[in-house]
Amino acid sequence: MSESAIITTNNVNLWYNEKHALESVSIRVPKNRVTALIGPSGCGKSTLLRCFNRLNDLIDHVKITGEIMLDDENIHAPSTDVVTLRKKVGMVFQKPNPFPKTIYENVAYGPRVHGVRDKAELDRIVEESLRHAAIWDEVKERLNDSALGLSGGQQQRLCIARTLAVEPEVILMDEPCSSLDPIATAKIENLIERLKEDYTVIIVTHNMQQAARVSDYTGFMYIGKLIECGKTRQIFEHPKEELTENYITGRFG
Amino acid sequence: MAEKFHTELKKLKADTLKMAQLGRFMLRTAVDALIRQDKELAASVVAKKDEIHDMEVRIEEHCYQLIALNQPMAKDMRIIACTLKVITASLRIGRYGKSIANTVVDLSSKPHIANLMSIPHMADLVIDMIDDAIAAYESDDLRPIEDLSSRDDTIDALRHSIFREGITYMMEDPKNISRCTHYIMVARYLERCADHACKIAENVQYMETGERVEIH
Repeated sequence: MSESAIITTNNVNLWYNEKHALESVSIRVPKNRVTALIGPSGCGKSTLLRCFNRLNDLIDHVKITGEIMLDDENIHAPSTDVVTLRKKVGMVFQKPNPFPKTIYENVAYGPRVHGVRDKAELDRIVEESLRHAAIWDEVKERLNDSALGLSGGQQQRLCIARTLAVEPEVILMDEPCSSLDPIATAKIENLIERLKEDYTVIIVTHNMQQAARVSDYTGFMYIGKLIECGKTRQIFEHPKEELTENYITGRFG
Repeated sequence: MAEKFHTELKKLKADTLKMAQLGRFMLRTAVDALIRQDKELAASVVAKKDEIHDMEVRIEEHCYQLIALNQPMAKDMRIIACTLKVITASLRIGRYGKSIANTVVDLSSKPHIANLMSIPHMADLVIDMIDDAIAAYESDDLRPIEDLSSRDDTIDALRHSIFREGITYMMEDPKNISRCTHYIMVARYLERCADHACKIAENVQYMETGERVEIH
């Protein structure tokens, strides 16, 4: 990977109590690219993803060693403000989780937390974020309706819009399509393709075809280790490691 | 699911081997018919043309079906990609066999000039190359095809030598022109068959390693 990296990890180890969930993971995540993490259940791909915005801090008895750099800043340094970090590194979860508020309020919530008060400015951010998330045309007439009335696919795009509203640099997606039907999935995948113009996307997916379709780089993880990481085309056409080969050809997992 | 797919892949390879063997058989038998001036044997080669064509269509359809239903990746994908090339090459080899068989009618009325020059020897070498390429496809072992490039150089040299020798006999006696033109064409067909053996080898190399190489 010769492209400039936005996130670099160096020898990251993570334990949940005694369980060694990540073992010496070193990965470079190129900027303005989509990187997919694949691997069998429990291999640590979501755990690694959650390291990037320190979501694991919220879990008791977690111990992390090693370095995680975001734009040359160590995200575990005492000077790092976690709220600022999570503004820079947004996250979209497996199950759409809109707030039980209006569509408008869902998107405006983040900017408000970060101090935007001006109504016109908020209106602009809401519209721009919804447009970026490819859902504006579907909701522009009903911004004051409850977000819970949207379909699953719309809710997920609303959650992406909510993430975009605070202008992150990196968007983490943890199985963003696994609760969606194929059409809603295709919309999210198209959206991911467009998002990489302005953001860096890291996506965890159990769906290998999806990883192959949407990503530029793919990392394969197995029992807490990053086995192989490279250009998606290389990983899916001729992986270097036998383990990767066996996993992506369905011989295990 | 994956198990069923891998069973299907094995069947695909087995069918492809049968087709490759048929193409090889057509070429070998055609050359034998030419050497022995056996018109019946030649006719039996021509009669195989529909069979090999049908096999190609069937295997090709099977490949597309496996791709559409299983979205194969890594080596699985490479096996199918290689198979599509192997069947095309095998069909060509079979059809060159048929073309050689077609010359037997014209070439059986009188004895061969100079015992067919180097054609029988050239045919043996080409068929060895085809055998080794097929063996590599079957066994996933690249050793039989390691030296295919230099063997192909020998084939090119033999074709050139047959061409020059043919011209010499034509100049000696214009009655030889028709016969020697056939010989030169047969040498050309054999040389193309060696190229197809190299094509198969290139694709087996890709199937095994993911690396593209050129063998010629």
